[in-house]
Amino acid sequence: MPRPIEEDVTVLRMRLACLLVLVLALAAAAPGVGAPVRGGTLNLVTDSDPPSLDPHKTPSGSFIHALLYDELVTADKSTGDFVADLADAWTISQNGLVITFKLHPGVKFHDGTPFNAQSVRATIERLIDPQTGAPGASWIGPIDRVETPDDLTARFVFKQPYAPIFSSLRIVFLGMLSPAAIAKLGPNYGQNPVGAGPYKFRQWIPGDRIVLDRDPDYAWAPKFYKNRGAPYVDSVVTRIIPDESTRVIAFQRGDLDILPAAPADQAPQLIASGKYQVIRTPTDGGLYLGLNVTKPIFSDVRVRQALGWAINRDEVVDYALNKLAVPMDSPLAPTIWGYAKGLKNAYHYDPDRARQLLAEAGWKPGPGGVLQKDGQPLAFSVWTYALETNVRIAVVIQTELQKVGVRMSIEQMDPAALLARTASGAQDALLISYGWPDADILYYFFNSGRMSSTNRVHFANPEVDRLLDAGRTTVDPAQRMAVYRQLQELLLQQAPWIPLASPYTITLAQPWVHDFYEDKYGDLLTNDTYIQK
Amino acid sequence: MHRYIAQRLLTLVPVLLSISILVFLMIHLVPGDPVQVMLQDYGSAEQAAELRHTLGLDRPLPVQYGIFLWRLVHGDMGRSIRTGRPVAAEIVLRLPYTLRLTAASMAVAIALGLALGTLAAIHHRRFLDYAATMTALAGISLPSFWFGLVLILIFSYYLRWFPPAGADTPGSLILPAVTLGAGAASIIARLCRSSLLEVLRQEFIRTARAKGAGELRVLYRHGLRNALIPLLSIVGLQFAGLLGGAVIVELVFGWPGLGRLAVDAILNRDIPVIQGVVLVAAAIFVGVNLCVDLLYALVDPRIRYV
Repeated sequence: MPRPIEEDVTVLRMRLACLLVLVLALAAAAPGVGAPVRGGTLNLVTDSDPPSLDPHKTPSGSFIHALLYDELVTADKSTGDFVADLADAWTISQNGLVITFKLHPGVKFHDGTPFNAQSVRATIERLIDPQTGAPGASWIGPIDRVETPDDLTARFVFKQPYAPIFSSLRIVFLGMLSPAAIAKLGPNYGQNPVGAGPYKFRQWIPGDRIVLDRDPDYAWAPKFYKNRGAPYVDSVVTRIIPDESTRVIAFQRGDLDILPAAPADQAPQLIASGKYQVIRTPTDGGLYLGLNVTKPIFSDVRVRQALGWAINRDEVVDYALNKLAVPMDSPLAPTIWGYAKGLKNAYHYDPDRARQLLAEAGWKPGPGGVLQKDGQPLAFSVWTYALETNVRIAVVIQTELQKVGVRMSIEQMDPAALLARTASGAQDALLISYGWPDADILYYFFNSGRMSSTNRVHFANPEVDRLLDAGRTTVDPAQRMAVYRQLQELLLQQAPWIPLASPYTITLAQPWVHDFYEDKYGDLLTNDTYIQK
Repeated sequence: MHRYIAQRLLTLVPVLLSISILVFLMIHLVPGDPVQVMLQDYGSAEQAAELRHTLGLDRPLPVQYGIFLWRLVHGDMGRSIRTGRPVAAEIVLRLPYTLRLTAASMAVAIALGLALGTLAAIHHRRFLDYAATMTALAGISLPSFWFGLVLILIFSYYLRWFPPAGADTPGSLILPAVTLGAGAASIIARLCRSSLLEVLRQEFIRTARAKGAGELRVLYRHGLRNALIPLLSIVGLQFAGLLGGAVIVELVFGWPGLGRLAVDAILNRDIPVIQGVVLVAAAIFVGVNLCVDLLYALVDPRIRYV
């Protein structure tokens, strides 16, 4: 006999209710999306061994250093602003000569010794000691001494105001070291590093891997993390694989959880596969065409400016850089502190304006479509690194300059040889790149006193020198920003450099890696990261 | 025999001295300033001068060489500019990996080379001969960086049999060893083929067959044994040659050996490390050649120092 309809409905309702209870119970039992999971190993990769894991013995930092060491100050993961790390707060004296840091209480180094004002002093004293020979020593600027009025107060006293200090403070060269470990390990600190970062050192097999373990006592992650305690993963293994293709295959196989700085030529396909999380990070640097202003053809500012108008940066980005870059409208990349938006003198693609400027400078059409003046063709040679990206950019520029009657030939060189040869001033032009977190980098490139070293365009301008000095010593951020805006306008107008593009770093992560970020300095922010396969 | 060994050892002295002079001069012959590279361009002139002094680069050339040689005979190859660690320590860490890789490659090369060569010889001018000869030709012609990647793609990516990089599991040695051994295997195969063909034409082989010896017995006891003598010197040379090939293979497979150390050092203009690696590689090369010569003298009493 068929059951009444009401009864059917009741049974159906009961069944649905049971099902719902079951689903909820299952959901509660299994870790849901967004609930971090403890444990596991995070497998990373890099292309070469760091020279040393001692921040005072390495000329360049790596994400491994950043996992081992914490600094007084760090950069916010989204805004890039300087925020508290091992220092909770700081004040700057009126004259800009003294910065007083209030340190975070209860911090311990991986060797169990406490972090305090004495460790700050010991770290800085070791950094600036000529005996240490720290390649990153100059980052601290003209510091005179570190005072320690009490355990949790460290006072940096400078000989002159040093405005770029905050950009420096977050850099791994200023990572805090354990004085006890310094005394115990001496020159071997780099093989047994001790920091106050989220991970502590376990093993380093040169050429093969570096293994770090989570520090279970870590409880002072910067505020921008959701997890301010010890990292969720048990350990971080960084494999060292020099070959790009092998790195990519190891990642595709799932041997690696994260592929930092994916090779530029393979990144587009990996992104297009849709299988991975893509983290695009603008780098704190870029590529530029530097013009040696002492060469006859570039001594006329109109010729330099014409090159600025003649180059289509969008084409450089699209064709030479696989669209993995942003066009640069200032000598500073947009992510560098001090970059000014909406600069009036910025160049954009306008070949007619380029032709007009060249005509005004007296260059007339000559044979083969190349302009000439007094029988001399408007031709120059650009030196660039023998790297595929650089050469591709050079070729794009070559084609564009040809359209306005400028002939550019390309000379490829080994980076060290190129940089060494620039000291003689033989170069017409350079197509190279740089990276730096602070606008103070312009001091190295344009100060008239650095002619035989980093001022490779041999540019000298008293007003530029004045602004470069002001940028170094104006500690107030707003005033300093105004100085750099003025400086960037002047540099664009004088055009010793034609800014080109600032590449992205592409980092890929497997779908099972959650809450992973990377900042613009290439540091991997892993404190919230967990693995859920 | 003793006299031969003594004379042979004496000739090593000028060879090793010449190597040391060439290696020492390296720092002055390459473009670029190591001090500038070390300071990453941003150091002051005073820092550069100080570093130059620490490295001894500001002294007269003969004095620099004297110090270099004195330290060398005391086992001191200086400190790496890049890492600050003693060069000798760096080399000691890496050398076992390279030796393991070259030994495994040699095993692959000998096994594969003898198998292919024998196969080609006994099937002279038939399909298998041509197939084996073509395979050997391919083995010599394929650049190892490409061949290695193809192996990674097939055996690591698609079949997932071996890891693409590293040195932590026994399986991780196989792909680099095959890649590195392929070239040497081809040379051994070709020589083995021609040597075996020549032996197989000899009278004593006919006699052996006439005695009613089985074909396998003829091949192994009479043929291959005699054909192997000229292969000895080639195997020695190949072993030394594998050291050079290891540079590329170690890069492709992320193998933490001496070749990687050399490349890292070259890219960073870490001159003391480059000098150390070149010296060690040259010493191994010279040593292996010496062993081959001595073995030859043992095997063939006609060979004497003239």
